[in-house]
Amino acid sequence: MTRRFTRRLSSVLAAIATAALVLAGCSSTGGAQEEQAALDTPEYKIAMITHAEPGDTFWDIIRKGAEAAAQKSNIDLQYASSPEAGQQATLVDNAIDQGVDGIALTLATPSAMKGVVQRANNAGIPVIAFNSGIDDWEEVGAMSYYGTDETLAGTAFGKRLNDEGAKHALCVVQSQGQVALEERCQALKDAFNGKTTKIYVNGEDMTSVQSTLEAKLQADPSIDYVATLGAPYALTALDSVKSAGSTAEVATFDTNEELVSKIKDGSVNFAVDQQPYLQGYLTVDAFWLYLSNGNFAGGSKEPVLTGPAFIDQSNVDTIVKYAQKGTR
Amino acid sequence: MTTTETAPVLELTDIGKSFGNIHALRGVSLSVRAGEVTCILGDNGAGKSTLIKIISGLYQHDTGHYQVAGRPMKCSSPRDALDQGIATVYQDLALVPLLPVWRNFFLGSEPTLGVWPLRRLDVAHMRRTADEELRKMGIDIPDIDQPVGTLSGGQRQVLAIARAIHFGAKVLILDEPTAALGVKQSGVVLKYISAAREAGLGVIFITHNPHHAYLVGDRFVILRQGTLELSAPRAELTLDDLTHHMAGGAELDALKHELQRIDAPDLGAVHDKEKT
Amino acid sequence: MGAIAVFLLFFAVATPFRELDSLSTVAYASSTIGIMAVGVSLLMIGGEFDLSAGVGVITSALAAGMFAYELSLNVWVGAALALVLSLTIGFLNGYLVVKTKLPSFLITLSTFLMLQGLNLAVTRWVTGSVASPPISDMAGFGSASKVFASSFTVAGVGVQLTVVWWIAFIALATWVLLRTKVGNWIYAAGGNAEAARAVGVPVNATKIGLFMTVGFMAWFVGMHNLFRFNTVQSGEGVGQELIYIAAAVIGGCALMGGWGTAIGAAIGALILGMAQQGVVYAGWNPDLFMFFIGATLLIAVVLNLWVRLRAQRR
Repeated sequence: MTRRFTRRLSSVLAAIATAALVLAGCSSTGGAQEEQAALDTPEYKIAMITHAEPGDTFWDIIRKGAEAAAQKSNIDLQYASSPEAGQQATLVDNAIDQGVDGIALTLATPSAMKGVVQRANNAGIPVIAFNSGIDDWEEVGAMSYYGTDETLAGTAFGKRLNDEGAKHALCVVQSQGQVALEERCQALKDAFNGKTTKIYVNGEDMTSVQSTLEAKLQADPSIDYVATLGAPYALTALDSVKSAGSTAEVATFDTNEELVSKIKDGSVNFAVDQQPYLQGYLTVDAFWLYLSNGNFAGGSKEPVLTGPAFIDQSNVDTIVKYAQKGTR
Repeated sequence: MTTTETAPVLELTDIGKSFGNIHALRGVSLSVRAGEVTCILGDNGAGKSTLIKIISGLYQHDTGHYQVAGRPMKCSSPRDALDQGIATVYQDLALVPLLPVWRNFFLGSEPTLGVWPLRRLDVAHMRRTADEELRKMGIDIPDIDQPVGTLSGGQRQVLAIARAIHFGAKVLILDEPTAALGVKQSGVVLKYISAAREAGLGVIFITHNPHHAYLVGDRFVILRQGTLELSAPRAELTLDDLTHHMAGGAELDALKHELQRIDAPDLGAVHDKEKT
Repeated sequence: MGAIAVFLLFFAVATPFRELDSLSTVAYASSTIGIMAVGVSLLMIGGEFDLSAGVGVITSALAAGMFAYELSLNVWVGAALALVLSLTIGFLNGYLVVKTKLPSFLITLSTFLMLQGLNLAVTRWVTGSVASPPISDMAGFGSASKVFASSFTVAGVGVQLTVVWWIAFIALATWVLLRTKVGNWIYAAGGNAEAARAVGVPVNATKIGLFMTVGFMAWFVGMHNLFRFNTVQSGEGVGQELIYIAAAVIGGCALMGGWGTAIGAAIGALILGMAQQGVVYAGWNPDLFMFFIGATLLIAVVLNLWVRLRAQRR
């Protein structure tokens, strides 16, 4: 009953809205009327295609930001992801075939995306890169880039380690062969004055992450800082540090709700945040600006940076409540 | 051993079975008595395997009556048939090749000790009994722990027969036990078929080899296209009769008759006949 | 034999591998693989595969976390509900396999993919996020983590309780296989299902029971993950099923069923655990991490084969 009523109500409302639009279209000029129409922009269809592993909390935050922007701007957001470059490219093809109004894309493997971005451009579909691919987005043919520079983030992390007085850092990579992760580790290593050791763990299996880190910490007691490249791994690293009887400190790239609470209670020292919510939000909003007003940021030359920002004891209190909502 | 008119342990009257439009069996009657070997012969597709499957409970018959020890039997699974004392030793053998002899011997009817959750196999008893039973049948397996897969074909048949006897089978159905065996191995198996008869079991011996059948059989049944071609006690038959029936019986006579007619010295007759 | 060789190899090249602490870490890494490998090896002896075992662990952990959190239940109640779920998944796997008579590879590949999707979708739908909510402050968490994820100290070395559970499960599985009716049925169901059926072994029930055993083990490991790490990400577990099957096969389970032991699977898990941790202890080039694990496995397997052939020739 209620549902049927709602449906009828909404169809009535839609009819009224259409009538209003028609009327607005009829009137020849007039600033106020124009503005009114601008707020009622037609529904755009935007595809967001990422290289996320399904079920990673970080990507969830990006998606929430994107969805918030989509809701505000009357955008039909279609989210899809695949960690396999080939499959990600296929998803882009798919979006082009559907005739979407814009494609937001992560460039974790830029070379694999070049062809499909070209295809999208030929079809007149704007492409905005975000999150990864800061060095390649121009060449690949994207209109703008929203995200951080992995190198900047890594460098910031390395410098922070210098300030903390660390001697030997362990860089924990949760997935082999990902450009962004490798860049972070490399930049950290370059900026950090102490010794940096890299280790790969199997991100699909937390118990193996735990025991591998524990083994490493036992094998090399000189490690005094564990730097993880993702929030869930920092939480596991805490456990490893404890069971290995090590005194190493833990810090991480990226955050999630639990990590923020660990920063608050002091067990994790700091996190370098690339503000995923902001990335998702800005990317989707950029389409709205471009499609409804022709604006685009960065002049197709400069990336728009969303980080790196540090979260530590000094500012964690303001972030906690947003983290609990799952948006930081 | 001659036919004594004791009550049959297993009796089929007018059994019929069809699969869709095809009549696999029609009006088949058969009785099996204790201490008797009933041989069922027939060509491929004569309905032998359908018949065994009905007796052993894998199939249900459509018409007729199936009685065990004078009581009607409607068994719905091999387990039911087993409980009635009807044990089947299949052509492809109900043995697990990788399991040791003694585990195979007791498979499906394992003796246990203790109460749940500590109920466990009575291993000592199992090993001893398996060994004894096999010796009783006159075969000596050097290692009761050896996997069944390493035994010879004849030994495997005997193990299966020994198992059936041990578990109180009253009727033993043997499906082509000699089909895949050489002469010597077949001899071993036939010896144990008569041993089973001496032990007082009713044996149903399915084969398409009339020589093997005549060596041990007390009563012979020949199936042809789902019907009974012949059912006779040993006293009324010679091996030749049996071979004759097996090879085609009445049809063969007609063919022989025809061949004799044209088997004239004058081959021209054949040509003439063909020309006309 | 392969296990000893792998042990000696890392004992020789990695100094820290010689420490008791390190061995305890190796034992822990092996135990979480090994507990699943117990269930998986029993199933393989019974002639079937379960590809959904890896994500099944995560399904169970997510379910327990979400039930407990969303309904504000004691975590033990959440764990109990997750157990029911895991056993049900096992039952369905088994039921579909015995009813359709399709290869279990296909059936469980389907359930594997479906669970992978459901893990993600249901978690997002229930919690609005892609990880199970943290439950460390909930009633019963303390006692549950004592049972599933605590550690104790022996002679100054911290040992994870999962190692003890692992040994207990191996002992139980070995006893069942060698000394009970059901064990006889498992071997028979895998060795020659038709023959077993003909002598009255309840083959279908045995197989369904085995799938449910895998479900139980998945639940157990799932509970360990949940109570050790407090939250579980819904995308984990993919690919683990092959590790479990590998442990069983390295330990001598026949791929076609009918042959194998629980102890063999334990040795397989130990080899995998030693290879994974040994490479770390040895400090070899991390880029070649996977290569070294693969190479170690190959050596272990070939060595096992060689020893077996030698023994047969004699």
